[in-house]
Amino acid sequence: MKLSCLQENLNKGLGIIGRAVATRTTLPITQNVLISTDQSQLKLAATNLEIAISSWIGAKIENEGSITVPARIFTEFISSLPNDVISLNLKHHTLEIKCGRYEARINGLDAADFPPIPQVGDGFMTKILEEELKQAISQVAFAAATEESRPVLTGVQTEFEGSKLTLAAADGFRLAVHRSNLIEPVKDKVSMIIPAKAYHELHRLMSEPDQEIEITQNAQKSQVLFKLKNIEMVSQIIQGTFPNYSQLIPQTYGTKARIDVAEFQRAIKMASIFARDGSGIARVIVTPGATVEAGKITISARADEIGDNVGEIDALVDGEAAKIAFNARYLSDVLSVIKQAQVSLEVTTPSNPGVIRPVGVDNYDHVVMPMFVQW
Amino acid sequence: MAETKGTARTIFHIDLDAFFVTVERVLNPALSGKPVIVGGRPEGRGVVASASYEARKCGVHAAMPLARAKRLCPQAIFLTGNYHRYVDFSHKFMDILADYSPSFQPGGLDEAYLDVTGCQNFGSWHNLAIKIKERIKRETSLVASIGIAPSKVVAKIASDLSKPDGLIEVASGEEKAFLSPLPVQKMPGVGEKTNQVMKSMNILTIGQLARMPESLFKNRFGEGMLWLREHANGIDNSAVEAYGEAKSSSRETTFEKDTSDTGLLKATLRYFSEKLGADLRDSDKKARTVTLKLRYADFETINRSKTSREATNLDDKIFQSAVRLLESALAKKYRAVRLIGLEVSNFINSETQLGLFDAESKKLEQVDRAVDGIRDKYGFDSIQTGYTMELKQKYSGKTRDA
Repeated sequence: MKLSCLQENLNKGLGIIGRAVATRTTLPITQNVLISTDQSQLKLAATNLEIAISSWIGAKIENEGSITVPARIFTEFISSLPNDVISLNLKHHTLEIKCGRYEARINGLDAADFPPIPQVGDGFMTKILEEELKQAISQVAFAAATEESRPVLTGVQTEFEGSKLTLAAADGFRLAVHRSNLIEPVKDKVSMIIPAKAYHELHRLMSEPDQEIEITQNAQKSQVLFKLKNIEMVSQIIQGTFPNYSQLIPQTYGTKARIDVAEFQRAIKMASIFARDGSGIARVIVTPGATVEAGKITISARADEIGDNVGEIDALVDGEAAKIAFNARYLSDVLSVIKQAQVSLEVTTPSNPGVIRPVGVDNYDHVVMPMFVQW
Repeated sequence: MAETKGTARTIFHIDLDAFFVTVERVLNPALSGKPVIVGGRPEGRGVVASASYEARKCGVHAAMPLARAKRLCPQAIFLTGNYHRYVDFSHKFMDILADYSPSFQPGGLDEAYLDVTGCQNFGSWHNLAIKIKERIKRETSLVASIGIAPSKVVAKIASDLSKPDGLIEVASGEEKAFLSPLPVQKMPGVGEKTNQVMKSMNILTIGQLARMPESLFKNRFGEGMLWLREHANGIDNSAVEAYGEAKSSSRETTFEKDTSDTGLLKATLRYFSEKLGADLRDSDKKARTVTLKLRYADFETINRSKTSREATNLDDKIFQSAVRLLESALAKKYRAVRLIGLEVSNFINSETQLGLFDAESKKLEQVDRAVDGIRDKYGFDSIQTGYTMELKQKYSGKTRDA
């Protein structure tokens, strides 16, 4: 293998695949990056066996070939080189790197020993605009469980039906559901559970809102491929049945308050200062006014033997007075991903879930379980 | 853990000498002056629970396999032990201590901390300690050693050092000087493994440990162990906590023969999970932490635990966590297992954070409670889950308690 490329491109490509490099592993070669010529381009790939990321960059190929080299050393060396032409030359199992007056040699392992990057192509396929998927991921993936006790909950339920894509994630205390549009309708309803970690990585790889992303599931329904421009990510699909989440979304409410997101966020942030010592409890009291517009909400927290705080914000309140306590972090998590200026908070009793929705759009439901407190 | 600030404290650590053996001797005076070992039959696979000072002279110590104790001290009298009698004696012992201060914390059957700060009307601390020792001897015929110090850890080390039938008082300000020359193994929390590491770093005394630079210590033992260095410096602000509820509950068993049969290991864990789950439900508690204990054939013992955000009292949840811990432990080290144990801890009485799937767990809890009801009435063996069939076959219907 012999080729040359620009430091800037190689560095960027390594940054893209870097997160798929295995860190703690029983298969040492997965700590390497696979470098190979692919037609007239240079292909970089890495896998931790859960996800695999490949990236293509422009290069001038003199001789075809492939090798794997330790990802960390290679990446660190490339990133410290000046932005100039880099030549890569494979001699037996040693990769020779030259850039101006700098050079290095790295001993590699045979590319044939690298775990095969799964080929996904023969199953269900659809397309979505990057902007749509990025928004969906940012509003849902954070709600997935990080504990392994129920593996399906570490994933995001991903459903394709008609021209809709629905993403849902729950960690036992909260549930996020987002609906977005596909570019073309799909024939049959397809659903799969994709690891939230894979979605976090995909989110990181998205940088062109207008591009189309191709989503393909293999025929065995075990893997899914996301195809971006010059980047491909393959993820394992979590096997199992996702809980029926639609029945967890309350259909009615006793009190509905419309609140300014920024003000709500500020009040939650203040409460969490005092809530930190307790179990993160923020107490929310919704008080209707003489008119809908004259309603208000107080958000308070207390820390035993230290002190307490109360914040009051205006709200449009429809329904009865209500009291409910939440983990402050769950509220700030959801408020931080909502782009709209206002949200609605719907509650029924102190022990029933609260629902937060952005005002003005109808594509997102966020259910938060309350905390049981003595008032 | 609660901490007390400001005022200097006076803490007693009262520890009964060779407790099980002494109880046996009270019950059977003919055993006096002879080497006695409580733990089980020497041909069995148990370990020494308690050894008389005569047996200790041969090198026998607690937690040593009985077979080895027999080799070291062939003339010893081996007793299987009489747990219920020990509990009775322990109650009498604790009742005496409770008379001297409300701030009193038992640590097992045979030892307790007593915070006597402000109880000056007894005269000097030394006299008070003598009084307590005499009363224990008079009323229970047991022998206690007492350590007096401004903190728990120093008091405990002092009582240990004073044995048998001893009394050591460490005055405020002298903790460091007292601890400094002692070997590091005397520090509670320094086990075989830590001791090995310290030895390799040429740290042999508590004083050397105390003088280790904080950064070096952190680097070698982790931030979570910094308390050990503080203890070595005589600093321990933890309070003597009034008699509280149990903080954990556990079960363990030593197999008749070392085993690498994962089916048997899982069946045993299932059985423990059902026992521990029933205890939790009975006391209306839920646990957040599940800890697996494994002792391999070569006696290396590991503890692996998992804490979840969601507390549980369900047999299956406990079992699933236990199995995950077992699988990851065996994946790292697949060797024959001698002992297996399971512990649930980090109890909460009522859930503050309500869960999305509470309805589901409630249903499962109802099933578990229905089984509890049947077992209460007709015995534990009256109903059995498939997981534990292997145990039934192995022990022909006799499930063994740890």
